[in-house]
Parts: sequence; C-alpha cells; structure tokens
Amino acid sequence: MKFRCEECQTTMEFVSNDTDRASGVMAIQYSCPECGHRISMVTNPGETQMVSSLGVTIGHESLSESAGGPMAQIRRSLDGDAAWTDDRGSPDPVWSEAAEKRLAAAPGFVQGMVRRLYTDWAKRNGYAEVSPAVMSKARDDLGMSEM
Amino acid sequence: MTEEMEGTPAAGRIRELDRPPVVDVLGQVVAQRAAVARRLASVRRVVAIASGKGGVGKSLLTANLAAALASNAGQVGVLDADIHGPSAALMLGARGQQLMLGPEGARPALGVSGVRVISMDLFLEGDDTAVRWRNYGGLAEDSFVWRGTLEANVLREFLADTDWGVLDYLLIDMPPGADRFETLLRLLPDLGGALLITTPSAASVLVVRRAAAAAQQAGARILGLVENMAQAADPGPGKGLADDLGIPFLGRVPFDPELGRSTDTGRPGVLIDPERPGARAILELAGRLEGILA
Repeated sequence: MKFRCEECQTTMEFVSNDTDRASGVMAIQYSCPECGHRISMVTNPGETQMVSSLGVTIGHESLSESAGGPMAQIRRSLDGDAAWTDDRGSPDPVWSEAAEKRLAAAPGFVQGMVRRLYTDWAKRNGYAEVSPAVMSKARDDLGMSEM
Repeated sequence: MTEEMEGTPAAGRIRELDRPPVVDVLGQVVAQRAAVARRLASVRRVVAIASGKGGVGKSLLTANLAAALASNAGQVGVLDADIHGPSAALMLGARGQQLMLGPEGARPALGVSGVRVISMDLFLEGDDTAVRWRNYGGLAEDSFVWRGTLEANVLREFLADTDWGVLDYLLIDMPPGADRFETLLRLLPDLGGALLITTPSAASVLVVRRAAAAAQQAGARILGLVENMAQAADPGPGKGLADDLGIPFLGRVPFDPELGRSTDTGRPGVLIDPERPGARAILELAGRLEGILA
C-alpha cells in the first residue's frame, strides 16, 4: 500500500497502524515527509479480515502475528478450544553414554535421523535423558520393529 | 539500548521499532513463498495424494503409503491438508500429541514408524472441537469472503513452519476438491508430483477426470492413477481412465475393510498384516512410487 502527496509529488511514509480488534476497524496513518500532511486509510472489518488472512505485517503491528513464531497465523486465527505447547525455551534431552554407544552401532548415514527421532520422542514424553531403556520404549511406541 | 538490555525481551522490541515499518504486502507474500522453499530444501520429494472426489480413500492410502515408505528405512512426513476433516494423525497413531513449538519451527507429531505428522488435529483440544476462525468485528456471516485466503495460508504455514528435518518423502493428503491443489502448486512450483486416486464408481471417475484436467492445466506433474476399493471380479475403470488421461496406471488396491479397520486404530494395515491383498497392493504401489521418484 502506498499513498502519494499530490501537492509535493512525494510518496507518503507510514506512521502507524491502529487496529481496533473489537470493531475490526484498521486505521493506517501516513504522512508526507515534505509538508507533513497526514492521512489515514481506514478499513472496514471485512477488509481488515482480508488483509489479516494474508498473514502479512502492517507496520510494527502484525495482524496475523506471523512474526510471532511458528504457525502464528493459525494460532492467532483459531477460535475456541485450541492448544499447543511452547517448547522454545526448554533444552533437548541429553543422551546417556550407553545410548550414544547404541546409536553408534547404527549405520552412519541414518544416525542423524535416528538421533532426532529418539530425541523428539523423549521430549514429547517428558524424558530429560535418552537412555537405552527410553530408546526401547520409543521403538515399541512407534512400532519400529513391526513389518 | 544499553548493554544490560541485550538479550532481554525489551531489546527485541527496541530493535523491532528501529526497523523501517513494513507495508509492502506483495513483497511479504513473495517472502512467504520463499520461506516455504527454504524449509523444503531438506525434503527430497513432495507428493500430493489427490482426487477431487471425497470418500475415495486418499487418507487411508496416504497413511499406509507413508508407513510402507518409512518401513523401507525412508524418512517420511505427512501433511494433512484437510483442514476441516483431518484424519492423518488418527491413522498414523499420532493422535493426542499436542503441537510443540520448537526453536526451529513447530515439531511435527511422531506417528508409527517415525512418520512425522502435521495436521489441524494437533491444534484441537477434543473430539468435539471443530475448526472455527476468529473474525474481526463479528463478521462471521461474511467469512466465505476471506476463509479461502486464510486456509491457503494455513497450508503455507504447515509447509513453511514445520520443522520437518531431513525427509525422503513428504506426502500431502489433499482434501476433496481441485481448488486446494492449485493453491499447493502456487506454493510449491517444484512439487514432485501428484498421485491421483479414484474408485471404480462412475461418479468418482468423472470427478477425477476433471481434477486431472485441472491439475494438468495448472502445470502439475501427475505421477499416476490408482484405483482404490477395486473389486476383484471386475477389471475396473482405472486403467482406461489413466490411458485416456495419458498418465501411468499404478495399480489397483482391492476393497479391504480390515485394512481400514486396522488403520483406524492408528496402525496402518501394511504394518499389521502385510500379506493381506490390500496391504500387498499398497506395498507394491510404494515400490513403484519409489521407482518413479528415484
């Protein structure tokens, strides 16, 4: 979105985005850097919703909070009972020496994949350490020995 | 900003305010697509399982194919693109796992054989929770205007924000209808291809024919056609349809209620009894798919 000050033949600059979520009205202010003339572009709730649905940021305000971490638009847009766990601050489980030995027995080209699989499983299931016992539980849970 | 503030939440906010404000909507949409490409750089092949018609067994085939490919020592992910009727988490034994937001993106749920699953199901609290979207100013009755755009962006976020890691195959279980497929193609111009599923019914053949035409017009690579729920005593219309469309016919998967029953418990039938006719057909299909995508 761009606006032009016809008086000064200059592209106006974004100043602020004031969105009232309750009414759905978004007011985006621009000013002319030459003469200081200000305008507001005002959208109705339907227009605000359309822009929000694009998952874009208007100024420093993010209608969709797409800059707010993974799946931000989905999380922001879901209404009602929705749930997720923000695990961004917690460390991955550590690997015990015995687990590392067991991993080392796997072919080299799959070790990265195997490590990630067990780490993810352990984390999801609340283990702070990946041990051979945890690896066995994960294998059973994921049906890795079937077929 | 002082040195003491470095690393604090306030520091991030101050840096944000120092940046020039962003209003370039088109530029942001282009950047969103670039983010999808970056994320999928570690995925060897992306395959859409599509039909156009509902009820032809796309989800069941997707779950069983994923399990079969993963059991061949492949790294497999499944993206459930059916936003309002998600079932991949159930069929792959990943139900009940909440979505976890990690530093590299959303961690997909872990299904059988280590298949990574992303689905709207992971966001929903209970069996009675439906997908409903918030709206500005209480304009729920006008939601048809913006819902398509929002849901296209759900698909984009599933692709771009999921920490898939390294995958050999990412299977996308498409919802009925041809429109979402076109969205996928716009997001993923280098899609590995689409696997089309039909049943023997004349209605399915008609809808799939149209979906194939739409996909071809949109520039999609169609890997082949599968006839699902095939009757043993009937040669079925799949081969003829594939020939008409000029695409490979990849086989028939016989109607097998037991395959569906086991998959509904979160253990795809190919893992429970690989010798069943339905399971065997899917395992052969997985082998053909690997060959085509090699």
